[in-house]
Amino acid sequence: MPLFDVTSVALERALAGAAQRQAILANNIANANTPGFRRSDLDFHTALAEALERGASAAELRNLPLQPQMDESGAVRVDGSNVNVEREMASLAENSLEYQSIVAVMRARVHMLEQAITGRV
Amino acid sequence: MFEALRISATGMGAERLRMDVIADNLANANTTRGPDGQPYQRKEVVLRPAGGFEAVLNGVEVAAIAPDPSPPRRVYDPGHPDADAQGYVTLPNVNPVTEMVDLISASRSYEADVTAMNAAKQMFTRTLDILR
Repeated sequence: MPLFDVTSVALERALAGAAQRQAILANNIANANTPGFRRSDLDFHTALAEALERGASAAELRNLPLQPQMDESGAVRVDGSNVNVEREMASLAENSLEYQSIVAVMRARVHMLEQAITGRV
Repeated sequence: MFEALRISATGMGAERLRMDVIADNLANANTTRGPDGQPYQRKEVVLRPAGGFEAVLNGVEVAAIAPDPSPPRRVYDPGHPDADAQGYVTLPNVNPVTEMVDLISASRSYEADVTAMNAAKQMFTRTLDILR
């Protein structure tokens, strides 16, 4: 396998997406008491899956834009905000675990490379 | 990369300020004579997204610490030095129950920010494991 093939670039982008999503969710939570605030979210799964589906190159994947979207869904509170802290905390936990699983996969790949380089198992 | 930590920190700062203002309201719940000779007026923290509603990922900031315009309480207590001719004392518009509810809200929101910050911290620590 080439050192930086499509899979490793895809993993890298997924990791970047999860890190960005973490910041977005933290922002929603920080604004939990801001009247009129609208939550944002980042769906990096769809963008990445779609790119991998059509067989995008590593370079294409590297330049794939990941844009956060303002989310108008969910019940709007009396103060005009649609932040639901329970939902944000659940997404936060989910995103955090997802990030850690991506890290685990990346680590396994680095380990494989290491073994190939050193010849030691 | 450390955006998430910074954003959670702005939230924690804002919630702590809310707690400070609530504590001030509670401490002054019976203050009949402020620096201007008037009874204390309840204050409330107004929050807004840092950098305005169009800016994304800047966390939260305090727009103002605004006075609550609701009318003061009037209590009949003719023995009080600040009682008026009819024997009524004008007390601050502080309702301890409202303050306690706000306090719980601020405290829980602070905890949520701490949880988000810890999750981000754990994620970054994990990233360092890739090369270990």
